[in-house]
Amino acid sequence: MSNATQSQSWLDTLLQVLAQRSGQPAGQRAAQWAGARDWCWPTPRNEAWRFTDLRCLTQLDPARLHTRTAAPPWPHGLSQGSSRHVALQLDGHGHWRAPQGETPFWPHGLMPLPTEETTPGQVARTVISSETLPLGAQLNGVTPGPPLALQVSGADPVHLALAIQMEQAQAWLAPRVLLVLQPGARLCLSWHVAATAQAAVLPMVEARLGTGAQLEEAAIAWGCPGATFLGSSFVHQSPRSVYRRTNVTWGWGLSRDEPFIRQAQGQAETHLHGLAVARGRSLLDTHSTVFFDGPAGQLRQCHQALADGRGHSVFNGRVVVPRVAQQTDASQLSRNLLLSTRARIDTKPQLEIVADDVQCTHGATVSCLQDDELFYLQSRGIGREQASRLLQRGFCEDVLQRLPWAALAWSSLQRLLEIPVPDQP
Amino acid sequence: MPACEPSPVQTGDVLLSIENLHAHVEGNEILRGVSLRIRAGEIHALMGRNGSGKSTLSKVIAGHPAYTVTAGAIHYRGQDLLALSPEDRARAGVFLGFQYPVEIPGVSNLEFLRVSCNARRQHRGQEELDTFAFEDHVRDTMAIVQMNPAFLERSVNEGFSGGEKKRNEILQMALLEPLVAILDETDSGLDIDALRIVANGVKTLTLPTTATLLITHYQRLLDAITPDFVHVMAEGRILRTGDKDLAMALEQRGYDWIDGADTPQP
Repeated sequence: MSNATQSQSWLDTLLQVLAQRSGQPAGQRAAQWAGARDWCWPTPRNEAWRFTDLRCLTQLDPARLHTRTAAPPWPHGLSQGSSRHVALQLDGHGHWRAPQGETPFWPHGLMPLPTEETTPGQVARTVISSETLPLGAQLNGVTPGPPLALQVSGADPVHLALAIQMEQAQAWLAPRVLLVLQPGARLCLSWHVAATAQAAVLPMVEARLGTGAQLEEAAIAWGCPGATFLGSSFVHQSPRSVYRRTNVTWGWGLSRDEPFIRQAQGQAETHLHGLAVARGRSLLDTHSTVFFDGPAGQLRQCHQALADGRGHSVFNGRVVVPRVAQQTDASQLSRNLLLSTRARIDTKPQLEIVADDVQCTHGATVSCLQDDELFYLQSRGIGREQASRLLQRGFCEDVLQRLPWAALAWSSLQRLLEIPVPDQP
Repeated sequence: MPACEPSPVQTGDVLLSIENLHAHVEGNEILRGVSLRIRAGEIHALMGRNGSGKSTLSKVIAGHPAYTVTAGAIHYRGQDLLALSPEDRARAGVFLGFQYPVEIPGVSNLEFLRVSCNARRQHRGQEELDTFAFEDHVRDTMAIVQMNPAFLERSVNEGFSGGEKKRNEILQMALLEPLVAILDETDSGLDIDALRIVANGVKTLTLPTTATLLITHYQRLLDAITPDFVHVMAEGRILRTGDKDLAMALEQRGYDWIDGADTPQP
């Protein structure tokens, strides 16, 4: 049986299992989910999936999947709620709970949206209206479970910390988060996703930013070699809104992160900073897309990857600047550190520019540790191994320093800072 | 290399002995028979045209992997220096002040200094300094080169001016307390005030039990730090050795008058 046939068979079984759990026929459930009508299992023949081997995902047994989670090791002080801060963790039923297990106390400025206002995919469809949803979002959509849907209001920033901890094999989690930021609202969102067993997590975030709203998102996602992360996020930006996303990923057997951002009328700011540390046989893939649908939009993007062992990092940065998006100011940089002969980096800028009055730059670098830097450290008595670690950490620092305390406080990140991280966290 | 320091140095002990050293880089022979002996308490100046091999000599002593020694020997306190890794040479007390200090983005200067200082301390059998103790130590030491503590918070040499980089080099020298310091054009790129500060720093750190090899093009550094010996290099060899008057003669007459000379080594 070919890989494609096997994958299709695996998908059919998975859809049946998920449909039984939702109480709906598989076809009906899939059809309800906009974009999931045309299931097309990605193969290396698809340009966007050339380098992404999904076997880590399909090694899961659909019949044994469950949603059990573990208690995240919250850093001291982060799990406590306050008038401006709320911490939530995913329980075994797909509900977001406060760390002590009780129903969350919502701080001022944060309010759950009524269920009737939370149609799955409602923001995603406005962000990628004519395209098929990515695989992670499709699988998320057919997985039953309640969304976390919140409205954010007020100029005083609200802090929302979300944590998912997976420690049992065959866990399958597909959390869905919908955020509606009213004009001028400010939200600091931090994620900590961890998997220490052969499992899969498929988070999907939809965010609608009103005029002048600000969303600061920091995401830490680490897994073990058998774990899969398929993340997708859809951000719809109104004029003068600001979206900053900083994410750090390591350890997964497979990670595919797909942020889609649309500046609906331009005149907004998007800042994307990512760090992927691929060691062992880890495959870390980031496919980002930013659409400019109006003039004077701004993008600052830097993706950094470090690949060692047989690690493989993939980056595809798509930026779409149609004629209407005059005076767009976009820059994209992909910086990569290749540390072994068997590691691999694939990086591709994909700038689709039609407007003629724009400033769009891109660049990609792939290098190894610099001999002069190593020698300089060695000439000060620092051993080569330690010098190498210092330089690797220095490489990561540009992204790490952008993380807020709520992200830096996690002990997992502290372990990453002691690079090299173990394959089995 | 074992983490221990040999017996204490006495003034006059031979610290560094270079014999008929030949070295090449990428197939080009740069050093063609350098011999030099440096004793504790001495200050040597090494001069010569660009490309004469001065910086190469300093890097070979420090163990730069790009250079291959094809003949000759270097002994440091009687030990085969060439058999040691660059880090072991530094831990043992050989210091190279770089002509062009390397910028290392993302690596905190403070952490870099602490790790390197502790590597040397560990070798000497001294207790390592924790972050708090080291910060006190480094702030006290910075006074030697009148360096702004704000530079501790920045990445190693990143965004430093030429003068600040050189001060940072001398700060590292002060923290590592080497027995042999080789300062490669430490005076280049310095204004008058910075030169005075750096020179004073070097003088402060020069002890009867240590030795210094100053690589320089200019008399102005030697006005501030009086050398015991001045060597002139050309085409990978030391052509002439004299005292401070040799440097003054070079300043007045240039290198042409010395070319072709063949004088005995000290």
